[in-house]
Amino acid sequence: MSDVTLNNVAELAIETGRLVLESGGETHSVESMMHNVCEGFGFSYNQSYVTLTGIFLTVKSAEGEVVTLIKRIGGRAVDLSKISSISQLTHELKRRNSSAINNPDIAAMSYTEYREKLNKIDTMKHYPFWVKYICGGITPGFFCLLFGGSWLEFAVAFVMGIFVSIILRQLTRLNLNTFLLNAVGAGLIVWFAKMAGLHIGYMNTDKIIIGGIMLLVPGLAITNAIRDTMAGDLVAGTARTVEAIFIAAAIATGAGSMLKLWSLLV
Amino acid sequence: MFSIINHLWLMQVSFGAIAILGFSIRSNIRGWKLVFTSLGGAISWGTYLMFLAWSSSLLLSIFLATLSVCLYSEFAGRAFRVPVSVFVICSIIPLVPGSGLYYAMKAYIDGNNMESLQLMGRTLMIAGTISVAIAVMSSVTNLFRKMIRRF
Repeated sequence: MSDVTLNNVAELAIETGRLVLESGGETHSVESMMHNVCEGFGFSYNQSYVTLTGIFLTVKSAEGEVVTLIKRIGGRAVDLSKISSISQLTHELKRRNSSAINNPDIAAMSYTEYREKLNKIDTMKHYPFWVKYICGGITPGFFCLLFGGSWLEFAVAFVMGIFVSIILRQLTRLNLNTFLLNAVGAGLIVWFAKMAGLHIGYMNTDKIIIGGIMLLVPGLAITNAIRDTMAGDLVAGTARTVEAIFIAAAIATGAGSMLKLWSLLV
Repeated sequence: MFSIINHLWLMQVSFGAIAILGFSIRSNIRGWKLVFTSLGGAISWGTYLMFLAWSSSLLLSIFLATLSVCLYSEFAGRAFRVPVSVFVICSIIPLVPGSGLYYAMKAYIDGNNMESLQLMGRTLMIAGTISVAIAVMSSVTNLFRKMIRRF
């Protein structure tokens, strides 16, 4: 482990933290993963302060040298497989390197090996888009059945989900903010369901709309808000709570404006 | 409590599992974890229906269903060595009150202000219940972990 310098480890740790935070991880799990990375490379004194929009990390070497890095976090997306792969990687690093100190048979994970594995996770392939679109149809369809819809409503919700997923994906490219994206999504869902109700008939459009809205509900924000608050990270907990409230408000805004528009026009 | 388990219940549970399967693929989960997130969705909806039939209280059944999902996710997260929230996020989606939000907005647009307020209050109450249940379960598991480490 003599080939790694303090700077390299600090950079690697903050890169790990950035990847996890940008994929929608909890702040306290980001902190523990960065701690694992630093400790795995032999720097047991390290302190980090993670918020949703930035990471602060200080690492101290045995000689008393100190490095502090700040990283600003831009956009946040949902990519749970990245979080889980990086979590497994940091666990493996810590386990292997701590057992390698006492046991010469086990090779410690080197800096370059860790770096390569991290890059591999970063460039890991997503599902192809048509799979995501079809899943964007399956979720509203089956939620529609779950809340008491009929099979005709299922079919409409399925088509609507695919349609909305495609449009939302195109809108994401324009770097719209979360509020506008969710409002537009909810509006599109209501519009499509009402159109289908007008042209096909014999349907309860409410069930279709609710199925579609379940695509947008802030499940991640609620979960992370509570778990961060319980882990003692009040700043991140508050920020996530505000995010959840804003997403809910956006959904209500989009659906409400489209309902009003529809009642005025039709 | 178990008398609700019939073919309709099974159908509902499998719909929940498939819906959550789609949701987890959208969140880019891969491999065997997909099976376990869908199972989590099935558990959340199945236990919710079971407790609802037993107690006929909305908030209590949501509370107990969230507790059981969080307990399940703690085990699944340990087994896969991934953060527990990965499983919780996907599994609690059926319980999140998207329908209450929509119905409240619809009642307001239709001009029924009192009904809208009532629905909004219920939606907030459900969201609060989910939060409290997640909080309780994560505190309890932290406590357990500390006790195991000590003894």
